[in-house]
Amino acid sequence: MKHIKILMSLFFLAALLPVRAGSLQAGDAIRIVATTTTFADLAGRIAGDRAQIYAIASPKRDLHFISVTPRDVLKLKKADVFIHGGLDLEAWRAPLVDASGRPEFLCPSGSRQIDVSAKIPLLEVPDSVSRVQGDIHAYGNPHYWLDPENGRIIARNIAEGLSRLYPEDADTFQANEKNFEAQLDQKMLEWQALLAPFKGAAVITYHRSWAYFARRFELEVAGELEPKPGIPPTARHIAELEKVMQEKRIRVVMKETYFENRSAEKIAASAGARVLNLAQAAGELKETRDYLSMLDYDVRLLAQALGEKEVSHE
Amino acid sequence: MKRIFLLFSAAFFFGASIPTAGADSLPDSVLNDIAQLRQMMEGLSSTVKDLKETVREQSEVIQNQTLRLQVLEGGAASAGAVSAATARAPVSAGKSQGFNPEIGVVGTVQASQTRSDEDGEGNDTIALKELELNFSSYVDPYSRLDAIIAFNDNLEEQNVDIEEAYYSHWGLPFGFRGQIGKFRSRIGKQNLQHLHALETVDYAWVIRDFFGEEGLASSGVRLAHDVPNPWDIPVSVTGEVLRGNNGTSFSGVSRRPIFNVHGNAFFEPFDNASLELGWTTLFGDENPPQFSGFDENGDPVTTAVSDGRNKYGVRVYGADTTVTWLLSENRTLKFQNELYFQRRGNLSHVNEDPWGFYSLLDFRFSRQFSTGIRFDYLEPLDVTGEHHASTAVSPYLTFWQSEFASFQVQYTHSDPASADGFSDDAVYLRANFMIGAHKHPVQS
Repeated sequence: MKHIKILMSLFFLAALLPVRAGSLQAGDAIRIVATTTTFADLAGRIAGDRAQIYAIASPKRDLHFISVTPRDVLKLKKADVFIHGGLDLEAWRAPLVDASGRPEFLCPSGSRQIDVSAKIPLLEVPDSVSRVQGDIHAYGNPHYWLDPENGRIIARNIAEGLSRLYPEDADTFQANEKNFEAQLDQKMLEWQALLAPFKGAAVITYHRSWAYFARRFELEVAGELEPKPGIPPTARHIAELEKVMQEKRIRVVMKETYFENRSAEKIAASAGARVLNLAQAAGELKETRDYLSMLDYDVRLLAQALGEKEVSHE
Repeated sequence: MKRIFLLFSAAFFFGASIPTAGADSLPDSVLNDIAQLRQMMEGLSSTVKDLKETVREQSEVIQNQTLRLQVLEGGAASAGAVSAATARAPVSAGKSQGFNPEIGVVGTVQASQTRSDEDGEGNDTIALKELELNFSSYVDPYSRLDAIIAFNDNLEEQNVDIEEAYYSHWGLPFGFRGQIGKFRSRIGKQNLQHLHALETVDYAWVIRDFFGEEGLASSGVRLAHDVPNPWDIPVSVTGEVLRGNNGTSFSGVSRRPIFNVHGNAFFEPFDNASLELGWTTLFGDENPPQFSGFDENGDPVTTAVSDGRNKYGVRVYGADTTVTWLLSENRTLKFQNELYFQRRGNLSHVNEDPWGFYSLLDFRFSRQFSTGIRFDYLEPLDVTGEHHASTAVSPYLTFWQSEFASFQVQYTHSDPASADGFSDDAVYLRANFMIGAHKHPVQS
């Protein structure tokens, strides 16, 4: 009985401590939790010094399969704003919000959440949904941030959301957003010039995640290594892709850093093509510390590979 | 507008001047201007063409999205047949469907082959181990309901079990989170997992011996709270009061509750590595075993083997550690351990100091494969006299066909604690498949 009393006392002692550990922290910075490092980077550009930002998903992991940790839950419990990718990009988002006990972060009704996918023209919106089609996304392809023009919309969404929640800082947010757009405009000219000679070039991708990027820079995605989204490559599908590679004289296989190399190397070898490990998230590689440098890295690497006359195997 | 103006100006210029003036009679500067304007017009024509194409593509995207939303919200409405006139009704109907709970089904089929010649359930057979039907939805802005109903064809007869059905409430006073209903008790790590989510085909021996074949799940109330600390380390404490009719270690009587207090802390000592530590303490009554039989008149009678009960006489203590490394190319290495021991009388079980542990090493080395091994050590509740420990080694290999279907093979070599038992070798095959919505709650 003595033990029970001690344990129950300890348990209820917790109730006497401050309800939110966040109150221990000094300062009045806006605590922002973003689901990805990319959204966190864009939020940081817009909020500037006003915010402390925490990103949940490691940029080196597949965003669809993140294991949420107790630290993520704690960060969200203490957050002021939750920024996420909307749609069904982060399958782990709803359980995370449930665990945080913060219904104001629930999408779409939560008052303190910002869905950065708003107003983005989505691609590959399926007419019907079935798992026969693989791990498809019911609302359309969610890898929209890889189109720089969608980066602009994301930034505007963040600025609008923060301005709504913190109207006293709205001017700062809007000014920072305009500043970002100016940088983006400048980079866009560079990127379009770099990839202009390869307009219409066919590429193979690993996952169906480069649709927006390809559309912006007028590339043709001739096929994916995954036979259907989320389904790992099969021998038969790889054989079919090898034919496509040879017929279309495809020089490049684009893949994310976190997917295995073996299948990509195999089909690349069959056509004398090159495998490019491209970044999908800010911070994924040492050269891609933020959103703009990520796109810069991807564009330059792709332009270089497409421009090579004689392709050497890595 | 500027481009359009230039386009019209250029068109007007060419249309008006070129037919009336011989090219030869024009000065070079004018010819150069004409050439430049021609080039500009071609560029502008190309731009207009591109813009038209973009507008057309955007219109298609918007149209597709509109139709998609109507189909998603309207259920039966055909994407190709939705007209403006009919769109309103399906959209309205679709919205109302949003009130329906998310539904998912998870099936587990398991086959086993053992050396044992006993006709025990589960030996040398194939069975639908479990078909789990789960529903979940928000109840209102403050709470949600999760229910998991399990059907199985595994025991001597088919049965249905409410595996979990609990109501969760956020924002209780003083920062507590609360749950009421039937739920898997917050004991270590494995007890929180459903069967299909285990890395191995079964629960660890110590879990099965102390808390039941599928762990301890019982009706009750749960309160959880975070423990603030200056280091910002996630630390939480959970308290539970559970109905006493579950759990093999306790009284088995509903009105004699089981109390559970669990604490855990989460550390990230290195990049891509985490360490989770937990402590569990359970208290409950120990009742004398009851004997059911017939009296001299042939009437059924139940009698206690010995007198009295030992109030809070069962104390179960446990510790768990989990180390997780996130490696490149989505690979993950996990090392999970749980240890439990009891302090109890010997009213209902002969061993006063049962204890055991397991260690699990799991390596997800590709998207399609994971492998691992579990070691079990147990001095069980019902082992008598001088004994060894029960031990088992279970290596396994899992093939992930997709996120929604997996197949597993496991071999288990076991040595029993009692002297009259014999070693066994078993091979298990397991298939897991799921449809619909399926989300595991995040443990914080």
